[in-house]
Amino acid sequence: MTFDLKNNASNHISNREGSDTGSGSTPKQPITDKKFAFIDGISHEIKDGETILQFVKRIHGKELIPTLCDAPNLEPFGSCRVCSVDVALTENGICKSVASCHTPVMPGSYIYPSSERIQKLRKNIIELVLTDHPLDCLTCEVNNNCELQEVAAKVGVRKVRYPEGKTHLDREKDLSHPYMTSDMSKCINCFRCVRACEEVQGQFVLSMAGRGFESHIVKGSEVNFFESDCVSCGACAQACPTSAISDVFESKSVANTEKTRTICTYCGVGCNLEVASVNGKVKSIQAPFDAEVNQGHTCLKGRFAFGFYNHPDRLRTPLIRRNGELQPATWDEAYDYIASELTRIKTQHGPDYIGGISSARCTNEENYLMQKFIRAVVGTNNIDSCARVCHSPTALGMQRTFGTGAATNSIIDLKQADLIMVIGANPTEGHPVTGAKLKQFAMKKTAIVIDPRRTELARYAKYHLQLRPGTNVALLNMMLYYIISEGLEDKDFIQNRTEGYEEFKAKVLALNLDEAEKVTGVDRKLVREAAMAYAKAPNAMSFHGLGVTEHSLGTFTVMQIADLAMITGNIGRRGVGVNPLRGQNNVQGAADMGCQPHQGAGYLDVTIPENHKKYEEFYGAKLPDYIGYKIPQMYDAALAGKLKALWLMGEDVVQTDPNTHHVKAALEQLDLIVVQEIFMTETAKLAHVVLPAASFLEKSGTFTNGERRIQRVQQVVEPLEGTKPDGQILVEIMNRMGYAQPAYHPDTMLQEISQIVPFFAGVKWNELGDNGKQWPVAPDGSDTEILHTESFKRGKGKFVAAEWRETNEIVKHGQEFPYIITTNRELEHYNNGTMTRRTGNVKILTEDVLLIHPEDAARHEIQSGDMVCVISARGKVDIKAKVTDEVKPGVFSSTFHFPEIAMNNITSSECDTDALCPEYKVVACTIRKSKGQYKENPATVLN
Amino acid sequence: MARKLLLENVHIEGINTYDVYRKNGGYRSVEKALKTMSPEDVVEEVKKSGLRGRGGAGFPTGMKWSFIAKPDGVPRHLLCNADESEPGTFKDRYLMEKIPHLLIEGMILSSFALGANQSYIYIRGEYMYVLRILEKAIAEAYANGWLGKNILGSGFDMELSVAPGAGAYICGEETALIESLEGKRGNPRMKPPFPAVKGLWQRPTVVNNVETIAAVVPIVNEGGDAYAQIGIGRSTGTKLISASGNINKPGVYEIEMNITVEEFLYSDTYCGGIKNGKKLKACVPGGSSVPILPHYLVCKTAAGQDRLMTYESLSDGGFATGSMLGSGGFIVYDEDQCIVRNTWNFARFYHHESCGQCSPCREGTGWMEKVLHRLEYGHGKMEDIDLLWDIQRKIEGNTICPLGDAAAWPVAAAIRHFREEFEWHVNEPKACLDRNYGLVAEKIFEPATA
Repeated sequence: MTFDLKNNASNHISNREGSDTGSGSTPKQPITDKKFAFIDGISHEIKDGETILQFVKRIHGKELIPTLCDAPNLEPFGSCRVCSVDVALTENGICKSVASCHTPVMPGSYIYPSSERIQKLRKNIIELVLTDHPLDCLTCEVNNNCELQEVAAKVGVRKVRYPEGKTHLDREKDLSHPYMTSDMSKCINCFRCVRACEEVQGQFVLSMAGRGFESHIVKGSEVNFFESDCVSCGACAQACPTSAISDVFESKSVANTEKTRTICTYCGVGCNLEVASVNGKVKSIQAPFDAEVNQGHTCLKGRFAFGFYNHPDRLRTPLIRRNGELQPATWDEAYDYIASELTRIKTQHGPDYIGGISSARCTNEENYLMQKFIRAVVGTNNIDSCARVCHSPTALGMQRTFGTGAATNSIIDLKQADLIMVIGANPTEGHPVTGAKLKQFAMKKTAIVIDPRRTELARYAKYHLQLRPGTNVALLNMMLYYIISEGLEDKDFIQNRTEGYEEFKAKVLALNLDEAEKVTGVDRKLVREAAMAYAKAPNAMSFHGLGVTEHSLGTFTVMQIADLAMITGNIGRRGVGVNPLRGQNNVQGAADMGCQPHQGAGYLDVTIPENHKKYEEFYGAKLPDYIGYKIPQMYDAALAGKLKALWLMGEDVVQTDPNTHHVKAALEQLDLIVVQEIFMTETAKLAHVVLPAASFLEKSGTFTNGERRIQRVQQVVEPLEGTKPDGQILVEIMNRMGYAQPAYHPDTMLQEISQIVPFFAGVKWNELGDNGKQWPVAPDGSDTEILHTESFKRGKGKFVAAEWRETNEIVKHGQEFPYIITTNRELEHYNNGTMTRRTGNVKILTEDVLLIHPEDAARHEIQSGDMVCVISARGKVDIKAKVTDEVKPGVFSSTFHFPEIAMNNITSSECDTDALCPEYKVVACTIRKSKGQYKENPATVLN
Repeated sequence: MARKLLLENVHIEGINTYDVYRKNGGYRSVEKALKTMSPEDVVEEVKKSGLRGRGGAGFPTGMKWSFIAKPDGVPRHLLCNADESEPGTFKDRYLMEKIPHLLIEGMILSSFALGANQSYIYIRGEYMYVLRILEKAIAEAYANGWLGKNILGSGFDMELSVAPGAGAYICGEETALIESLEGKRGNPRMKPPFPAVKGLWQRPTVVNNVETIAAVVPIVNEGGDAYAQIGIGRSTGTKLISASGNINKPGVYEIEMNITVEEFLYSDTYCGGIKNGKKLKACVPGGSSVPILPHYLVCKTAAGQDRLMTYESLSDGGFATGSMLGSGGFIVYDEDQCIVRNTWNFARFYHHESCGQCSPCREGTGWMEKVLHRLEYGHGKMEDIDLLWDIQRKIEGNTICPLGDAAAWPVAAAIRHFREEFEWHVNEPKACLDRNYGLVAEKIFEPATA
């Protein structure tokens, strides 16, 4: 709304002077309770808390006031002073120039954004800045995309009056890092990189050293990028208005013209990416500032680790095993071979001798097709996905307590939260963008971290409960015990929204505290304090990861987390809830689409006749009405001769599933293994048919992130010659096997999915926009940020008590193997590393290492860098040791990103009792110094 | 004889020790305040006294104290700004060195008034020996029950410690001081929020100068009204002046704020006149950042009235013909001194001390120094003078903290009052290398026409 106050005022006067026009009795008041300020004499309404810059931008767009140190995702800083404007308190009053970016608008003030004086000031400031900036624009990487250049042009600097003097134009470039580059001669000291490092990533690597003219950006203690603690998130490069900090892909160059918005293929955060391509090749990636998920931020995987997509190692032709060797074949040959084998096995043994493992790396549409293929074309419910080995206990546990197995809230709710509790998750490494947000939170507010390792987040947290791996249930019982015994439960919430409380309470209060304290190894006073903090926080938000689920009592731990939320009423509004940090980019979607043996697309139980009928009618096929094999059961079935064929889409079970010997032995029993892959993985090496698939940059579809957000993946480049998108492969094989499935297109696929998945009812490709929609999406297209606001999906929330007991692994092997090794992730690599090991990331992190406490290391005379042999009941691995107090004595920790280490040789086949999620997190082992050498593997060689 | 409130006992042997200080009436005010007054009463007395900040800005202390936010359960802090680094100012050092317990006594009173239980003295890093004096005095105060828990049984707890700076002038700016005290790089913060709302560790904080805090002692002892009777108008009480330059008696003087500049400059009680019988050329009355006054504006205002050693009188005439009391760094120049050289020297200081945050100050202070250097060394051009004027205009008022203003004002005033001397440097490139300007021209002693 805009009106001229002066005119209104004069109207007002004329009204008073007018005699009996009728309006005189109620003169128009120009100033109401709304607040106004003037821009160049014109009055505009101001919003609460608005700065002058925001105010002027809102009215006139961003053109009127140039800025240099201001950035969309950073707090105002007020240092460049280019955004200065004249402000007077009265009309034609004395003007004072203020930095508009951080000065709040004074109601009734007169703002002149481009008075002559201000224009001169801006010109002078830029002139001063240019005295110490090279004027080599034509050869500069960011020519035509440089904010300094733009502002200089806008304010009209024509000459620099300052004569030659001392400058910093001779600063050397820093090209030490595989991704980050810097050329500090181009630096204009705007602090944007320093602030991005602090405010966005929270890494504090970049800072300003020296004073005044000598002030300059340093990395760490004046080291280069590679030697510094930089985590290569690239926030500084994106924040830098010039090319002082950039990256090897020259992501700010205008040569990178074609931009495509898509979604990152790595973790479940689901960062929005803007991929630049030239002539059908990907050049660079940036993070859009308007992305709701990542607000201009992403990590080194999302931003830089895309080089795998056209790596020479990419599979480019179908392969068929002939005479024991995988040999190139045509697609027709491959399809014919598969179709005839599948038909043979189906005829000879029945459809249940065939199974499929879908991929959380693929799109919703492809996952839907995969389960449809296995169910409707093959005719079995033997379909599962890698959600089994990560968050299946979350889905099951939350379905049992709340009714929906997905995050209840959104990450943006951190703004309303007063406390976070992070259990068994290391988001710093696994979910870097959310991890950075949680770290920012922990630095400012209260955080509870429950983790056997002193992770980065644990170091910032007020409470770190460093428990022994495998004792989550005992620890959470202690917290529940204290909340109940101190009377801090939310009685209203329990009364109105839940059921089963009394029985639950009795069980919790029967806890043997002494035993719980002993097995967890955590001081009960600390647990009590943390429990009090959680219960007393107005809004407490919990996050959990695989440290909760990959245990024999994983499902019960999830239910306890749900219990904690319900008992304190932390559910159903902003800033609270139970939020699993879903591991892979589309693990939520793989489950949503029905890639699990007991539930079809949309989580409908396949054994219920009504659902069974619905699916049969929808697919137009005969379907089994009994539950199929989960992944671990598939291996057992194969070994028992009950499974003859396995179809794996983008899933490297040999490297990633536990107990590699067992997995390999099972696969070797099969008549047919079909693998859809982009690289020759450890699993693909065992396949009978390998189908070369396309990467996320080469196809379209949707991914659903950890906060239920369905986002559009859009094809950036054509699939590599010889490869096909997974969806197309599935459609072709379905048709080959006699099922009429229309060609793969995300638009039409979503139409089909929206008819069978209830919470996708209103999902339409064209309506998803840049930021997607969070399911459930109603038929009218409206989406849902927060679940269970009025009532739970299952009606009343159900309390389920859990009793701790030692895992079989320790009971059986604890005596002989007295140490516990727990597995986790490193930031630089993703899962089995097939992608990240084929990017510059291997130059940053070159190998898996074993973390070992100094006491244990001393006992075995191990020093950092020594090769050690870790032995479990299943096997052994040779690995390099890193002595650190990040872990407690008796506990080791490592990763399984590198096939040459093959960490899963030692992990066990123990599983979660209810969801059959493998227990990666507790492995009984022992250790000795080894003579083993680090094994070189060609997979780590870069192009 | 003028009254001394702060330095009255400074000549007493051993006054820097607790026993002597106490015997001479030290800590009386703490007894009075903690036993008979509420914190609000102390604030009220300070308001009545009309005490104004002695660090340079001259903001009424009582009002500053009343701005402090008092949210429930959030600790508040008092910080003493002892980062005295302004060229020409050395009064705080003298006070802390000679009579350290006076500052501690003032800290207790002020902390009590503000409800601050953890207070700090942030001292200039170069004053390391003074820091040791203070630490010794603080230890004595603790030992005698003036600091620590439940002081004098009043229920008031107070911890006091000294933190040294690391050699940056900018850390005398209150928000930079806070950043530095928090262990960060001493960059000034944007305001708002002001320290009174979000200061040290984001808690409500008051930052006061050493002399300001010391002045609370006589205010509590004798009452705000009595204090306000000294001085003229809104310049109440006594003020420490650091006198330096070409005078017979440089040193720290405590004056009542009612004497004339002439008396201060020429009487034997104070500066004792210009050294070696030379003539006065100019004076910087309030520390290096305030405008320089040419000799004809030192003792008289432009209107011809006597100039007094008060906040108001020294700034009479605004920047056109006045200056500021500032921090009381009174620097006197005789006829032999070169204004260009002096201005270059100040500019060099601000160039060195700019934190580098705001572009006008970071680049501008550098260029002012470079251009002044060029002029002083005979390489200047006439347009350089306009360029200088231009730069200082762009710095002033266009930075986060007042350092930009402090760097701009001396340059502006020097050009305003001594433009001819700058021009002479351009016209006589050889001569200006050989000798100081003051020796060769008498005409600058005539008032400028406008």
